[in-house]
Amino acid sequence: MPFLNDIDKYSSLSIVGLEKNTGKTECLNYVLSRLRDSRKQIALTSIGIDGENRDQVTQTNKPEIELSEGMIFVTSELHYKQRKLISEVIDVSRQSTSLGRLVSAKALTKGKVLLSGPVSNHSIKELIADLKNKGVELCIVDGALSRKSIGSPAVTEAMILATGAALSANITQLVYKTKYVYDLIQLPEIEMKLKTQLSEVDNGIWAIDSEGKFQDTGISSVLLIQKEKDKLFQHGNCFFVSGAVTDQFLDFLKNQKQISEIKLIVRDFTRVFASPETYYAFVKRGGRMQVLNKTNLLAITINPVSPDGYRLNSDELKNALQEKVNVPVYDIKKL
Amino acid sequence: MFRKIVAHTSGLQFLMEDLDLRSPMGRRCLLDSKMMCCKNEIATELNLVDQLVQILDLNSDLIFKIQNKLMHCRDIRGSVNNLLGNLVLDDVELFEIKVFALLAQEIVELQKEEKQSFLEIQDLSELIRLLDPQNTKIPSFYIYDNYSEELAEARKELKLAKSKNGDSDFEIEALFSKSQAIEAKVREDLCSKISLHGAGLANALQQLAHLDLLIAKAVQAKKWNFSKATVSEGNTIYRGLFNPMIKNELANQNKDYQAIDIELESSVCVITGANMAGKTVVLKTLALCQYLFQFGFFVPAASAQISIVDQVMISVGDEQSELNGLSSFASEMLNVSRMVKDSKSHKNVLVLIDELARTTNPVEGLAIVNAVADIFYEGKIRSVITTHYSGLKSKFRKLRVKGLDKDLGANVITHKNINSYMDYSLVEDLEGEVPHEALRIASLLGIDKEIIDRAQNQLASKNKL
Repeated sequence: MPFLNDIDKYSSLSIVGLEKNTGKTECLNYVLSRLRDSRKQIALTSIGIDGENRDQVTQTNKPEIELSEGMIFVTSELHYKQRKLISEVIDVSRQSTSLGRLVSAKALTKGKVLLSGPVSNHSIKELIADLKNKGVELCIVDGALSRKSIGSPAVTEAMILATGAALSANITQLVYKTKYVYDLIQLPEIEMKLKTQLSEVDNGIWAIDSEGKFQDTGISSVLLIQKEKDKLFQHGNCFFVSGAVTDQFLDFLKNQKQISEIKLIVRDFTRVFASPETYYAFVKRGGRMQVLNKTNLLAITINPVSPDGYRLNSDELKNALQEKVNVPVYDIKKL
Repeated sequence: MFRKIVAHTSGLQFLMEDLDLRSPMGRRCLLDSKMMCCKNEIATELNLVDQLVQILDLNSDLIFKIQNKLMHCRDIRGSVNNLLGNLVLDDVELFEIKVFALLAQEIVELQKEEKQSFLEIQDLSELIRLLDPQNTKIPSFYIYDNYSEELAEARKELKLAKSKNGDSDFEIEALFSKSQAIEAKVREDLCSKISLHGAGLANALQQLAHLDLLIAKAVQAKKWNFSKATVSEGNTIYRGLFNPMIKNELANQNKDYQAIDIELESSVCVITGANMAGKTVVLKTLALCQYLFQFGFFVPAASAQISIVDQVMISVGDEQSELNGLSSFASEMLNVSRMVKDSKSHKNVLVLIDELARTTNPVEGLAIVNAVADIFYEGKIRSVITTHYSGLKSKFRKLRVKGLDKDLGANVITHKNINSYMDYSLVEDLEGEVPHEALRIASLLGIDKEIIDRAQNQLASKNKL
């Protein structure tokens, strides 16, 4: 039973696809099938909309999420009505999403459901905490790595990454892109004391001076960096960026002469929007990056088949990727 | 309606936010409540609050338990309306109704246990029996197998087919649709049965909302030392009146609030006094108390007898008027004119005007004050006008803020400690001469000395003439 023993240690897990059709749902179904015999109470939800019968973008068939009896799932009212199993409502959220309120229910028979879930980081955290109160031992989040979603799968303790031919049909490129995300996920977490303080901040660029004090640089967004470059270094070379880190911003930092002293703290790995080239150049010149929330990557799964039918050599891909990363790599089709 | 009044009554918003409402419907109940003008209605509401204040003293644990239950209540108005409209409800709606009914019943039981009953809440046990056929009292819901043997049978078949992996998806699909069809029929039956309890449910929802509000009112009254006012047929009398918002602010600065006594007849009353003597606060507090009383709250005073009015009208001159293209004088005059007109059409009003005609010259200003006061005097309109003008007609009743009368000793007054030396109490004033303390107050505020000196020279040369 690969990578499942590790799951035991965590109470929340997200499964994240690097691209559509990289086998995220298959990976999820695999994890669920292996957990079927454990006596744990499992709950399942998603960030934003997921679990459509047919892929909304490419119109290819997508495997549905199969629940077994006794599992708890959280989905929107709209998707709850379309469920194909018998289930018992155990809670309804007070807040509403675009698809209605979130319904928590317990499956009384096995069957398929469409999942949708909270959209913001805060509400995902709240939901996970609430489910724990209801006796859930493992909460699995079907997490899209969407640039449009404000909710990040990094709020869960552990993560499985799904990648595959849909991301790139060239093995070298695919490994390069996947390794980049892997490197970002492995960014070190900041110390606890700083973490509690920074969790409160929700906008702008903040500097941490030599005495460890927070100073507002007065720059409200990374996007405005071009106009306010002069203000950035007034309090030193350590920054916390609450929102996205753009390519332009990282490029600007990379070109500074004191680059080796620059330390950048980001919320989590999903907030780095820079190209791999810029990021690696930044690191190579001595720049450092840390994250507020780190998640433990348990494994990477690969799907050698792309939605347009292209098929990569599974073993070649697996070995190439395994060489670069320090977590187990599995072919989702062979599990 | 409370919703409208709270937006433009100073201090009411503060108290509303301070209310410890636990459920969304409690808040709705407050916002939708109407200003009560009937003596019995007000007395009944105040008696209920009083009853809860007493229970808070004797058995706060019970209140705590009830509040805890109320916290979990959702506003299920939508589902109840659907039920009353004879619609078929979905699982989520039925779940909400069941959870609500369970909570309501628990609150009824709590009251019974402690032999305390404040509000009659409909007994929902029959409804609960329908929605909880397995009698587990667990807040969850689905169309249970117990509802129909046919359904149970169909589900058993489906389950069996699913566990045998050999069966095709098509077959399972067919079985699933079959059980769905039976479920729909069962649901229809169930909904028509529980719709008989729709009215009871609506009643319970209303009563719980009211209970939440009553508890919040009682908690607030205790916290702030508010007291239960009685309905007065004649004068409105406050003893130890205070403004909770300002008292709170002063307490934060470690300062005391001086409560005042005031009595209002069914006629005009003019209040004079130095600047910074709290005249505006008196007016705002009077408006606040009148509303609190008629919305069934206790009032911020040691004791109060309040005469019911149909409407409260207040002009404190902080309305924004530039946008309408009106000067501050014009907008005040239009406002006052409307008040005079309204007060003529129905007499039972409370009119409160702060520094009438202060933005024009004192000669005409005084004439306006006299004119408006005269109309209220003759019309026997319960009204209060504050002013700095001397020369008011002697027939009007006048009250004066005592002001800086306290013994100062060797202390120096500044704008920071003026609060401790100002005597805010109101005294009947027979002379009608207003205090001339503007320059003194201004200098305490630390304004440019040149202004004070020049103004004093001006006054001195005038006196010589």
